[in-house]
Amino acid sequence: MAEANPPVLVAQGIGQLTRTFLRDVGSVFWFIVNTFEETFERIQYGRVPFRAVSFFRHTERAGVDSVPLVGLVSFFLGLTMALLTGYQLQRFGTERLIPGLVAIGFTRELGPLLTGIMLAARIGAAFTAELGTMQVSEEVEAIEAMGIGPLRFLVAPRMLALVLLMPCLSTVSNIAAIFASSLVCKAYFSIAFPYFLDLVKDSLLIRDIITGILKSFLFGLLISAIACYRGLNVKGGAAGVGTSTTSSVVTAITAVIGFDTLYNIVYTTFYPT
Amino acid sequence: MTTPTHMVELRDVCMQFDEKKVLDGFSLHVEPQERLVVMGQSGSGKSTILRLILGTLRPSAGSIFFKQFEITRLQRRKLQAVRQYMGMVYQYSALLSSRSVGSNVALPLEELTDKSPDEIDKIVDEKLDLVGMKDSKELLPEELSGGMKKRVALARALVLEPELILLDEPSAGLDPVIASVIDELIISLSDTAKVTSITVTHEMDSAFRIGTRMAMLYQGKIIEEAEPEKFKQSENPVVAQFLSGSTEGPILEGSLDAITKK
Repeated sequence: MAEANPPVLVAQGIGQLTRTFLRDVGSVFWFIVNTFEETFERIQYGRVPFRAVSFFRHTERAGVDSVPLVGLVSFFLGLTMALLTGYQLQRFGTERLIPGLVAIGFTRELGPLLTGIMLAARIGAAFTAELGTMQVSEEVEAIEAMGIGPLRFLVAPRMLALVLLMPCLSTVSNIAAIFASSLVCKAYFSIAFPYFLDLVKDSLLIRDIITGILKSFLFGLLISAIACYRGLNVKGGAAGVGTSTTSSVVTAITAVIGFDTLYNIVYTTFYPT
Repeated sequence: MTTPTHMVELRDVCMQFDEKKVLDGFSLHVEPQERLVVMGQSGSGKSTILRLILGTLRPSAGSIFFKQFEITRLQRRKLQAVRQYMGMVYQYSALLSSRSVGSNVALPLEELTDKSPDEIDKIVDEKLDLVGMKDSKELLPEELSGGMKKRVALARALVLEPELILLDEPSAGLDPVIASVIDELIISLSDTAKVTSITVTHEMDSAFRIGTRMAMLYQGKIIEEAEPEKFKQSENPVVAQFLSGSTEGPILEGSLDAITKK
């Protein structure tokens, strides 16, 4: 057989990767659709789709337990951001722009993005490992065999918990970062707290807050869908759980950043200012 | 196509995993209240048959019926409803590891019925008592032995009063006494509760104790099907070798001649 030349091999490689990527995107999309369908079907029959206990267990784990991590990381990043931008702005005598810069930067962009990345690593990995272990030990199949829909029973409470808690955690992130920058402003740039708050209020628009919250909802959906999808499609025993967990975290973080970029492009096209 | 009159019927089922053909034109039927035992070598596709009947696997070709329902054509919602008439005991029990024994058994009742917590509790106690596991209600599956897990899995499979029960190696790994208890339970279920059962196993004692009909799966097909006594006297060399456990014979040679010679 004749050897294929390098350009052909590269083209084939790109083609394979594109096909895999598109197949994965399609699979996650249908996974979300099927989860919604199974859940709403149950509601149509006048029954609760999942138990409140199950939902609150996930909200506690994904939300309450994540507050220290999200708060601390955002606090440090807020400090750094205020400090580094502050010194540059001071050269032009515009250090009063720091509060607005940090506030807008976090509410619109960094808050949801940072929270998304942290939750993808912390909760996405946990969801994948948990569901993956259930998958390899035939627990998921046993649930299905009983006539219980695994998507509404296992995926829906996790998805709802993350979707609802992402905006809350983003808000925690925003507040921690703004608070940190207020400390820097007071300590290094002589901006008193009341003046700092006035500057934040003057610069921050409702639109910025809504954008951030909307993004958070979508990131929550994306992370939970990818994590649960990877978990329920684990193959290859314990090693497979490990591989899927790593893949889930990498995919979710990449998806969150990619989706954020896409969102910003669309947003700035419609609202350029 | 004729409407099936059997409890379960598989017609010309083929099942292929990648390159490996597990079932090749497999046909079988099970009558109500019958206790069918399917025997065969490890990896011959016995568990696959149970999964196909449950609809958790879709065949590459052929049709599968449970009563009047064609499992292979059912929509997800209908399939979920039909599965409530079946109970499955997995080879490795497949209990939910994060839930207690009682909670595992209660799960189908909580999710699929409108029974009150008190009623559910009563039924759970009754089913656990049936398999001798009432004292372990609060324990987690990880605190149980393999045999105990299997008994809990049986209690869970029975909790919705199924018409058909599918058992994957029910006595594997159990001590002889507990194995006999499980076998007796399966027999009494078909006698008293009119439950039909399909058991896949290669435990001879258990198989001949439970079965009202035996079937031998070899190379993707049923090569022998008979009542226990006739099955024991089968002249098919594959069956004879399998029952005797001899190393001499067609099984290890993988010869097809022996099967068709019958």
